[in-house]
Amino acid sequence: MSAIVKVTRRDFLRYAGVGSGALVLGCYITPSGALAENIFHKPLKLNNFVAMEPDGTIVITTHRPEMGQGIRSSLALVLADELGADWSRVRLRQADADGPRFAIGNPNDHGKPSYLIPEDVSQFADSSRSMALYFLPMRLLGAATRLVLTRSAAKLMRVDPEECEANQHKVVHKPTGKSLKYDLKLLLAASSVGVPQMPEITAALKKKEQWDYIGKDRARMPSADAQDMVTGKAVYGADQEVHHPGMLTAVIARCPVANGTVKSFDATAALAVPGVKYVTKVIPPDFPIPAGGVGAGFVPHAGVAVIAENTWAAMQGRRALKDKIEWDLSSPAAAANAKYDSDTFRHDLEKSTSEAGNPLRHTGDVDKVFDGVPTPVKASYYVPHLAQAPMEPPVAIALYENGSWEIWSSTQGPELTQRYVGVYMLEPNPAKWLAWQVADPAEQNNESERRAQKEFNEQLGTLLGMTQAQLVELAKDLKKKVREKIKVHMTLLGGGFGRKSKPDYAVEAAFLARQYPGVPIRVQWTREDDIKFSYFNAVSHQYLKAAVGDDGLPTALLHRSAFTSFFATIFPADGIGAVARDAFHNGGKYPYGSGIELAQGLEDNPFKVEHLRIENCPAESHIRVGWMRSVANIYHAFALCSFADEMAIAAKKDSKDYLLELLGKKDRGILDLGAESLTNFDNNGFPSFEAAGTPPVIAPYPVDVRRLRAVINEVATKSGWNERRGNLPKGHGLGIAAHRSFLSYMAVVIEVELNKDNELTINEMYGAIDCGFAVNPDRVHAQLEGGMLYGLSYALLGEITVKKGEVVQNNFDDYPVLRIHQVPKKIRTYIVNSDEKVPPTGVGEPPTPVVAPALANAIFAAGGPRINEIPFHRKVVVL
Amino acid sequence: MPVFQLNVNGRLHTVDVDGNMPLLWVLRDILGLKGTKFGCGVAQCGACTVHLDGHAARSCSVDVGVACLSRIKTIEGLSYDGNLHPCQKAWIDGGVPQCGFCQPGQIMTAAALLAEKPHPTDEEIDDAMRGNICRCGTYPRIRKAIHDAAGDPTS
Repeated sequence: MSAIVKVTRRDFLRYAGVGSGALVLGCYITPSGALAENIFHKPLKLNNFVAMEPDGTIVITTHRPEMGQGIRSSLALVLADELGADWSRVRLRQADADGPRFAIGNPNDHGKPSYLIPEDVSQFADSSRSMALYFLPMRLLGAATRLVLTRSAAKLMRVDPEECEANQHKVVHKPTGKSLKYDLKLLLAASSVGVPQMPEITAALKKKEQWDYIGKDRARMPSADAQDMVTGKAVYGADQEVHHPGMLTAVIARCPVANGTVKSFDATAALAVPGVKYVTKVIPPDFPIPAGGVGAGFVPHAGVAVIAENTWAAMQGRRALKDKIEWDLSSPAAAANAKYDSDTFRHDLEKSTSEAGNPLRHTGDVDKVFDGVPTPVKASYYVPHLAQAPMEPPVAIALYENGSWEIWSSTQGPELTQRYVGVYMLEPNPAKWLAWQVADPAEQNNESERRAQKEFNEQLGTLLGMTQAQLVELAKDLKKKVREKIKVHMTLLGGGFGRKSKPDYAVEAAFLARQYPGVPIRVQWTREDDIKFSYFNAVSHQYLKAAVGDDGLPTALLHRSAFTSFFATIFPADGIGAVARDAFHNGGKYPYGSGIELAQGLEDNPFKVEHLRIENCPAESHIRVGWMRSVANIYHAFALCSFADEMAIAAKKDSKDYLLELLGKKDRGILDLGAESLTNFDNNGFPSFEAAGTPPVIAPYPVDVRRLRAVINEVATKSGWNERRGNLPKGHGLGIAAHRSFLSYMAVVIEVELNKDNELTINEMYGAIDCGFAVNPDRVHAQLEGGMLYGLSYALLGEITVKKGEVVQNNFDDYPVLRIHQVPKKIRTYIVNSDEKVPPTGVGEPPTPVVAPALANAIFAAGGPRINEIPFHRKVVVL
Repeated sequence: MPVFQLNVNGRLHTVDVDGNMPLLWVLRDILGLKGTKFGCGVAQCGACTVHLDGHAARSCSVDVGVACLSRIKTIEGLSYDGNLHPCQKAWIDGGVPQCGFCQPGQIMTAAALLAEKPHPTDEEIDDAMRGNICRCGTYPRIRKAIHDAAGDPTS
């Protein structure tokens, strides 16, 4: 994902605020007396992440959105540990959107300009990568600061700094036992102790045995937010108070068909509701509608807002608007969308996979092998649209004053919110919105990216009549303007699951605020809004076919995947948007998938098959598509891990043994993905340090089949697979699935019972993950439990359908989600191979996509039907 | 508009609102008690759970005109005299909350359950708690925390 956001070369130390000419302890300490002004009034900033209060309390800036993954506390604990801080004397402060401030340059930048963590993703809590990205940067920042405090204290104590050690908020001179606690005294001396250099900082990193918090249990790594959460004090989007009086609440009636607009409305009845103040269109008439229409990119759906003194009045006002709005569905896009029927479309997708698609991987000669096999194993799988449905429906507040916007949002992407609110509000030419993505082709990772970036730049230049130099200047000015005029604060999120990666609701608030300067406007989504106007996970049809040899293993495998790519929504359908789509993330041509989606369980197929062909088949999109926890892995893992079981059944082999055999010989290691066009999700999305390297280097994340094998073995052992297979009571069954996603390896075993009335009980669930080093094991276990249950929820119950372009479902009554009585009585989770030398990888998403196939396999093993479509409640009774 | 007198967490409040306004919005928008959450608006998710005369109720679906007849307790009033309710303590000790948004509602339902059945079985917990949705999937830890709050052993 970094290809679009590379800008210029940055130096890690300077960027992280740790030095390079500037004092380690920040620019506030100057001989001119700035310190004196600051010292007694506010925390003293040590670097971009750490400040100290006059009494020595450490204030850690938490820059990533907190949506339940526990990252606020986890990253702060990492920093505090290396800093030698006493956690009880640490206070957290949530940052605003400030991407450049938290970006991290490459410390090992040998002439090739590169970012480890680019400014457009430095705060974007998406792709399960907060810990993967920031574990080592936080350690280095902490260690660098500890080094300075130690040297300062040594100087004040007039001892050798080499004989001093800092821990738990104090520096101790080991030979004499003399000590100085962390406080401003140390900072006063800091300006004269010099700037630690990178080799010194890496050498100063604590050893595993020295960690106070990192890798420890819940007692040592407590949540800083738990107490507020259980006492009702935690502040989420709708709870946010703002500094400006007179906040009003808006509830919006949106066009039920994507890309439709408002033709006319009669506000009389709505305005008659007590408390209703204004009724107005969300998208103002002067807004330049982009090529894809409203609803494309992050432009919100067209709608009419009812703005009132309280939420209830706004909701009542919207009820009064019912049948008083005439929608305009005359644009070609809206007219086509209005015909969208998800039942009919399922057949279209099926037809799409009945023909050859775009080849992604192709080895050997699949067709020739199939020609000689009379009865290949064949199967199809279907996954409908799904809505994320976080417990907190989307909420954003905007205040417009003097040409600037202040936004408070429950968002996974604070900098994304800033960017899109900014370009939509401030730049009247939609073609110029894309200037954000102008970059120097020479800075791209590989030849195809360089070529794509060059072509994008040239086409945008032609479109705008600008030279390349002018384009670069335009991009710079646009970013500067946006970052000056748009301030974004983030609240805690009441869940995200990908829904809140999209800033459309903040854009709605910004549009409305512009109409009423000086009035804070809170846009409150209802649950019905959330279900009907999600960015839905793609609907997908998968087709697999295998020729099985004498040993039962496949000699040839064909996998065709058709899904409605979220690129159809994110990038407008034609013009420069199509060029951008093609240029970035291997986006390809409409209506095919993007490199991001193809790298999620499709082209990274780990099975050892001599003749293999993987294809992406076209799928047009007629509804807003986005992503949900684990994204394309949802349909790819469901298909592939179910098909592995179908092949095992055909081969009359044990499902678990067969799965291991599919991975090849025991020593088969790194998967050769061959062509550079295969993104493998790592090369673009997860630039990171290799832990404990001196100097740090960028870690590669190849697909390592041994790691997948290890989690399968772990979960099989812990579930007693070998002892229990063949010995289960009638009606019981065990199912297994394993899948790599977000660079982590995950396997799950499920034990189910199916009674004579076809009623399903899920008794046991075992999950094992290899996520590299598990920095906060308790939160890893929590994500394993929650991620698996999220997967169980959509597997059993998840389905969004569409009639005449309108989503049918409304609320939790017709879009049911998992409830406590449906949770297996026994859930066990395991962390495999957690070694501090292995870089941490994703945890939030990998547990999710393996559950549906493991459950389908278990149900079949229990004597039930082969379930090849979600939701399962169509085939078995879910009580 | 009519005036209602509400007893919330032992304090009397006078509010002047439409009698059909659900208690949830009176608590949140009029009284500023924002620990009670809006999740669905149709009594399906339990995020808005409060106690009416000690019984768990979905405040999104109780009109203020009805709620004013009962003693109302919200998550803000659950802990007494600065001491956390046993559920709140068990929730923290058990590492239950992830995003935390549904937890005030979960805890209010659990507290009402324990007041009625001090030592609930798993089945009784499931029965009482099935009206409360958690999308983060903290259900296994909720079950355990309720047993812990009851002082009962768990496997």
